[in-house]
Amino acid sequence: MLRRIYVITGGAALALYGVLAFSGWEFGTPAREKLDPSVRNQPGGYRTHFWYIGSHGGK
Amino acid sequence: MSVKVSCPGCGGPIEFKIGSAIVAICPYCRSAVARGDRNVEDLGKVAALADTDSQLEMGLEGKYQGVKFTLTGRTQLRHQAGGTWDEWYAAFTDGRWGWLAEAAGRYYLTFQKKAQNVPAYEDLELDGKLGKYTVAEIGEAKAIAAEGEIPYRFVPGSVYDYADLSGPNGEFGTLDYSEDEPLLYTGKEVTLDDLGVPAKVKPILSHEMRQVEGAQLSCPNCGAGLSLQAPDEAERVTCRSCNSLLDINQGKLNFLKALEASDIEPVLALGSTGELQGTKYVVIGFVVRVVHIEGIDYFWEEYLLYNKRIGFRWLVRSDDHWNYVEPLAPGSVEKTGKNAFWEGKTFKLFQRADAYVVHVLGEFYWKVEVGEAVRASDYICPPHIISREVTYQEDSDERGEVNWSHGTYLPVADVEQAFGVEGLPRPAFSNVAPTQVFGQKRVYLYWAILATAAVLLFIFVNIVSPRRKVYEKTFPAFVPTPNTEQAAVLIEEDKDFQLKGWNNVRVTITATGLDNDWLEVEGDLINKDTDEIQPFAAELGYFHGVEDGESWTEDSREESVYVSSPPSGTYLLRLEAIGDRDRTIQTGGVPPIVRPGGQGGQGSQVTLHVVVEQGVPRFWPWFITFVVISIVPIGVVIYHIWFEKRRWYGSSIE
Repeated sequence: MLRRIYVITGGAALALYGVLAFSGWEFGTPAREKLDPSVRNQPGGYRTHFWYIGSHGGK
Repeated sequence: MSVKVSCPGCGGPIEFKIGSAIVAICPYCRSAVARGDRNVEDLGKVAALADTDSQLEMGLEGKYQGVKFTLTGRTQLRHQAGGTWDEWYAAFTDGRWGWLAEAAGRYYLTFQKKAQNVPAYEDLELDGKLGKYTVAEIGEAKAIAAEGEIPYRFVPGSVYDYADLSGPNGEFGTLDYSEDEPLLYTGKEVTLDDLGVPAKVKPILSHEMRQVEGAQLSCPNCGAGLSLQAPDEAERVTCRSCNSLLDINQGKLNFLKALEASDIEPVLALGSTGELQGTKYVVIGFVVRVVHIEGIDYFWEEYLLYNKRIGFRWLVRSDDHWNYVEPLAPGSVEKTGKNAFWEGKTFKLFQRADAYVVHVLGEFYWKVEVGEAVRASDYICPPHIISREVTYQEDSDERGEVNWSHGTYLPVADVEQAFGVEGLPRPAFSNVAPTQVFGQKRVYLYWAILATAAVLLFIFVNIVSPRRKVYEKTFPAFVPTPNTEQAAVLIEEDKDFQLKGWNNVRVTITATGLDNDWLEVEGDLINKDTDEIQPFAAELGYFHGVEDGESWTEDSREESVYVSSPPSGTYLLRLEAIGDRDRTIQTGGVPPIVRPGGQGGQGSQVTLHVVVEQGVPRFWPWFITFVVISIVPIGVVIYHIWFEKRRWYGSSIE
């Protein structure tokens, strides 16, 4: 029984690693967000920081 | 050439059909008649042959190694321990005589050889080596019965010394000390098929019938009926009615002594049948033995199994563990120090002690009795065990018999299945048998497979998604401000780059000029096609100083941030750099650093160098996976170490 459980869990761990490695997944990556289209259309829109809605957490 | 003489005892005609026969037994008066150069000599009368239910018979013809033979004579000899065995004399057509010994359903064919450097009987050492042979038995035999023609001077009632030798690959030998010069006979254990005995000659049917029927006898002490399963080979039997130990002599029972009452009951009933390794056995005997080690008595049970064609086997139950035990030729085992070697396996000495019989029940092929002692040594190579038992004669520490046996561990469930019983006691978890196999060894194999797969997968992942740099930029020097609303925004709006799917992204930021300061960088990967942004953040810091005359540094001017693979597309990189908001830096365990400029003041001037890469190999996720698949094997290793310690816990060997 132990051997069967080990093979299943070990195989699953390996498979999970394979999936994550091939998909380029990284632990702790913040969620993607969507910019308002007006930012792109506004000259220098990407430069201003007022649109930024992401994390401003300090150290 | 046939020679006819008259029996000196009764005058009856005796024919020496074989020219080299020395003695013929008179079929009328059972006189052993020896022929000399001029006359015949009466050597005395022999007893009637006991029916040993042999599958051989006088006049039987066979062929061994291409040479035909005829069985012309037979003697019965009594062992000093009380048992008897048959010796048949085979006259070969090439003029040789073959000695065919038959005991407990086994056959040993030997031929006389010229003896060289044979030790004197007194110099023989039990279990010692004589060339390739092991001295397996030293004893004396008494000639008690005979028939037909015999190739040596057979004297009824004579006693002679002998030694049995056991060699490798079933080789067998006998040293016969009946004459001034010892005689050497060598050969090997054979089967009836090896002897070319026609199947139709073997009285198998009658054997089977007798086996089924057994033999019905009455206890001479209490008159209760007794049924013998192996009447031709049994030497002792117990009566369950009056608890007597009875001796069996040519089918007659003699009362020996009353056994002490015991509440020990066999868990496999006597008379029950079972099938082990494809052979059906009946349980005919039950023995409890004990060894005393360091003041503690260790008991175990032995169940004697019987099959007419195979002979005797044992089931040994110790601490609720079972072993199936078969006899072994002593010459097939080599031993040196604390190791023994058999069939290419190395066995370690586990126990050496004197074992005593404390309880008997049923019938036995040797003259068992309570108190019987053997010097026993057990060698283990799980699931195997080979045991050496030395039985010494009462009056001698030099004469006796060496017996080896081979046992194989048998799970309780297998015993239950074999004998059709249920509910046999199971050994406790902490109770590990000497021959018990560690059941989780395959986990090591599985771990090796998984670990190899993990390594190969890591290599494969790095081959199929090679690392590549997609963006690099050094931004002009600036002084970061702690005011988030005045954060330095770094972006090259005219320098976009391509990111692929299914590849992670690493952003490496190096802040040159950062000095006793923190720098917080908040970044975004902006997908120009979809307006999606992938935010990330990095904190950089570099501190140094001198404490107690020793310089120290802390943190790093360089930081790498990994983000999951974004969708394929064209991207821009945007960074906001924010200086330290708290000018007084707590560095943990060392005096606080007050940065130039004080609270809310400006920090050091920095230059940011940024590199964006894709397909960067990640070691830690792989290592974590490796650890995960190794957790169970590590636990198994710990369990294995404990298991082996428990196995050797019962060993008497230092």
